[in-house]
Amino acid sequence: MIDNGLLVQMILGALLGLSVYLPMAAGQLSLATPAFYAVGGTLAALLSTQGDTPSAISLGAVLGEMLLAAGLTAALALLVGLPVLRLRGIYLAISTIALVEIVRVAILNLPFTGGATGIFGIPQPFQQPLGYVLFSGSLLALAGWLCQRLEASRLGRSMAAIRDDELASRCMGIHTTRVKLTAFVASAMLAGVTGVVAAHYLNTWNARQGSFDVAITTLAFVILGGSRSWLGPVIGGLLLTALPELLRPVGDLRLVLFGLVILLGPVFFPQGLITPALLERLGRWKP
Amino acid sequence: MNNPSSGAPLLELRQISRRFGGLQALSEVSFQVEAGEIFGLIGPNGAGKTTLFNLLSGVTPASSGSIHWRGQSLQGLSPDRHNRLGIARTFQNLRLFNGLSVLENVLLALHRQPQGHGLDALFNSPRFRRRQHELQQRALHLLDELGLADQADRQAGGLAYGDRRRLEIARALATAPALLLLDEPAAGMNPREKEQLCELLAQLRQRHQLTLVVIEHHVPLLMQLCQRLAVLDFGRLIALGTPEQIQADPRVIEAYLGGSR
Ligand SMILES: Nc1ncnc2c1ncn2[C@@H]1O[C@H](COP(=O)(O)OP(=O)(O)OP(=O)(O)O)[C@@H](O)[C@H]1O
Ligand SMILES: [Mg+2]
Repeated sequence: MIDNGLLVQMILGALLGLSVYLPMAAGQLSLATPAFYAVGGTLAALLSTQGDTPSAISLGAVLGEMLLAAGLTAALALLVGLPVLRLRGIYLAISTIALVEIVRVAILNLPFTGGATGIFGIPQPFQQPLGYVLFSGSLLALAGWLCQRLEASRLGRSMAAIRDDELASRCMGIHTTRVKLTAFVASAMLAGVTGVVAAHYLNTWNARQGSFDVAITTLAFVILGGSRSWLGPVIGGLLLTALPELLRPVGDLRLVLFGLVILLGPVFFPQGLITPALLERLGRWKP
Repeated sequence: MNNPSSGAPLLELRQISRRFGGLQALSEVSFQVEAGEIFGLIGPNGAGKTTLFNLLSGVTPASSGSIHWRGQSLQGLSPDRHNRLGIARTFQNLRLFNGLSVLENVLLALHRQPQGHGLDALFNSPRFRRRQHELQQRALHLLDELGLADQADRQAGGLAYGDRRRLEIARALATAPALLLLDEPAAGMNPREKEQLCELLAQLRQRHQLTLVVIEHHVPLLMQLCQRLAVLDFGRLIALGTPEQIQADPRVIEAYLGGSR
């Protein structure tokens, strides 16, 4: 039922879920992930379709694009983050939605990004979906490992403290601005490199890839999966990306069911599927 | 920052005022706190005591006047800068990191301890684990001083009320302050607990070379603990002096007993 193609999409969903999760772990509701995803995807599309486009591209070139995308999105996040992270709660969410719109409209109207139709014939580093599964799977494993280490580190703990009580964190000498900005930049870089992989996998890229809907679906990944551990958004991203495809046999009703999951998920699992209590129980099973 | 300009008091308030819209919460309050003393701050409800702490910790800016720390103005500095300069505080209405463990609450505040390199943390190197262990020992030691060591692994939000008050103190102490601002540390404790806390505060001052400013409604307790006290009433400083002077001051008696409050 789950073929390799769907598996790649699920993994990409999990990566985007992690990108939304990182600022949230520091108490910041940022919906900017699609903007950085779009920047990464557009960068990859532009770079790899220069000159007479070959149909294949070396893995080294893709890794180079990912590095560039990480650098570009980090710079952008630093620039935007300083003013925007002064805002709290819903105001931060709204201003990051504005960022998503600005990036979308810019990509739509720039002279070299292909307008509404976008960029086609993006070369592929792998000829089979399996290649993408392994590649994006490795990326997810790396991102998960980094998050795991983050949660054991002082930075991760500071993020949790800010999420609990920002004012008290400041009064305990924590550099709250620096911590929040770091989480925001990490989130942007992750979205950027995910965009690069997605652009090659999809073979085509346009402004719609980084729209407001993506902000909402990726937020749903974190809300359903839970935001108390990095595993939550990963599980949420995998499940909610697979769900619409798995529900395809029921036709248009699947969209209703998908909506119900997002709507009722928080009602029945207010902390998400992956809760601290669950993790503790799992931890105790370990040898 | 480490060598205080000689002669300057540890903390000096000059004509501090703060208004909230039409409400004058503090008006032209001036006093000094000397290094090493235990300084009491009393006054009826709404007198402006907590507001004063908010100003001293950088949480709220003053409307006018200035605060000097070891002779330097604290104007415009953020709360985290205040803390790193050596001013720590507790909160009257408890602001612990409730989702974290008791131990983590203290670990987070140990920012003066060297933390080790980020790469060590990333690869969980032996050096990183050793460092983590040392930090934990330190945190546990502080918890032990406050009588909370056996609760180290519990969630902070789940502690009993008095324990949460003590954890507030442990967490503030972990930032290695020179000045500790305690906002009603004994609130909600029974007389015996209050008595014990009083002794503990005196010990902590010795061991950590602290200067303490303590807000407390239970005046006899404060009279016993403090070398000097300031009395606020409707945002004004109405008395300043030793416990004996305060007790004899007619304006203090008026503020506490007289009037139609
Ligand atoms: N942020 C604020 N906005 C508006 N008014 C405020 C604010 N903070 C304090 N006040 C007002 O300032 C006055 C002094 O309050 P403050 O909390 O400093 O009193 P307090 O002496 O600590 O009282 P208590 O003993 O009840 O804790 C009160 O009238 C209070 O309502
Ligand atoms: Mg108060």
